Amino acid sequence: MRLVYALVLVISLAAIVFDHLGSPSAGRALSPEDFPGACAPCGAPCPSAQIK
Amino acid sequence: MTIATTAENTGAHAPVARRSDWLFLSTALAAATLLVALVLIDGQPASAALVVLGFALGIAFFKAEFSFTAAWRRFIAGGEAGGLIGAFLLIAVAAIVIVPLAALVPNFGGAIAPLGPSLVIGAFVFGIGMQLANACGSGTLYTAGSGTGRMLIALAFFIVGSVIGSLHLPAFLALGGVDPIIAARYLGPWGGLAATLASLATAAAIVAAVARRRGASFIPSRPILVGAIAIGVLSIGVFVFGGHPWSVTFGFTVWGGKMASALGLDLASQPFWQWPGPRRALTDSVLTDTSSLTDLGMIFGAMAAAAAVRPFARADWPPLPSLIAAALGGLLMGWGARLGFGCNIGAFVGGVASGSLHGWVWFAAALAGCAVGIRLRPWFGLSRE
Repeated sequence: MRLVYALVLVISLAAIVFDHLGSPSAGRALSPEDFPGACAPCGAPCPSAQIK
Repeated sequence: MTIATTAENTGAHAPVARRSDWLFLSTALAAATLLVALVLIDGQPASAALVVLGFALGIAFFKAEFSFTAAWRRFIAGGEAGGLIGAFLLIAVAAIVIVPLAALVPNFGGAIAPLGPSLVIGAFVFGIGMQLANACGSGTLYTAGSGTGRMLIALAFFIVGSVIGSLHLPAFLALGGVDPIIAARYLGPWGGLAATLASLATAAAIVAAVARRRGASFIPSRPILVGAIAIGVLSIGVFVFGGHPWSVTFGFTVWGGKMASALGLDLASQPFWQWPGPRRALTDSVLTDTSSLTDLGMIFGAMAAAAAVRPFARADWPPLPSLIAAALGGLLMGWGARLGFGCNIGAFVGGVASGSLHGWVWFAAALAGCAVGIRLRPWFGLSRE
């Protein structure tokens, strides 16, 4: 089990660093709720907006 | 009960020596430091704070062995309500800050969600999954982080399930629903807070009455009380630095979405991933997503806390049926969390602490799902207790 953990840890950290260095990262951290029209933590629109 | 739950997850029943595992302790600290350094280089101290708060949450959950899943199972199976009341206390602590701040201060917002079939179906399925996996969203993070290999599998399938859920959510939303109902919008910030606290007190009184009728305890243990207050205070910190209540499962969806995209799947054309928030999360760094920051911090915090007191991940793998339950439970939780707008943290704790009615609807539907999940547990060699 330790070996599995060690592998997952190394691969995950490498993926995080690779993703961070290769993607836009200048702005502050956001959640989908920060965007206009979001009606849920995942950014889903409100039912009233979907009807329109 | 907590010990039994841990043993079920790990497959370990033998006592372990109490000594630090310096390799994994130093690795966890180094990994958290690396994340903090990466976001500070980008000039984002609030992001660094979210990693640190997640780290502290991982320690708090591990030390208090705070488990929504075990608490709900104890209530359903034997009427014991101490854990549930501990969760209500946690929410009350968070609500004292979240309800008024979300209503009064620009750039702060509560965890809201529409009411409809998607919420009910998602929460119900999540409830089944959390009893099979033996953890919820936060529980999966801290048990996987603390060296429970079974929960590493649950986490992997949680991620897969949440991506599948992201593909199905728009169709379920099309079934209809009503816009979020938020106490503060009708009663003002302080009236909304009073209504939220009153709803929590009423719920606590109801579950205490059920416990008394069934001859079970409804007094939270000291670790539960301390854990609830500590986690409640830390979740306020996440709210202050993130601008929204603490959430867990959107991070899993982002991780899965990025992995699927790396494997060549065209998620960007899917309706969910065209909404502004998910679209940005898919393209930008994972360290610009608030839930990913706290999730990663929590994994490394739990890892550090576990490695500080015992050899890390030394237990044997549990039996295959238990691993299958973990995988199936993770899959159901992931799918259910996307349709139900979150897990115990994002939907229940965050929703109720924001004075949003969807939090209580989620709780009722997930509790019903838990009752089904408890009945399924013996199929996989897990106890109903």
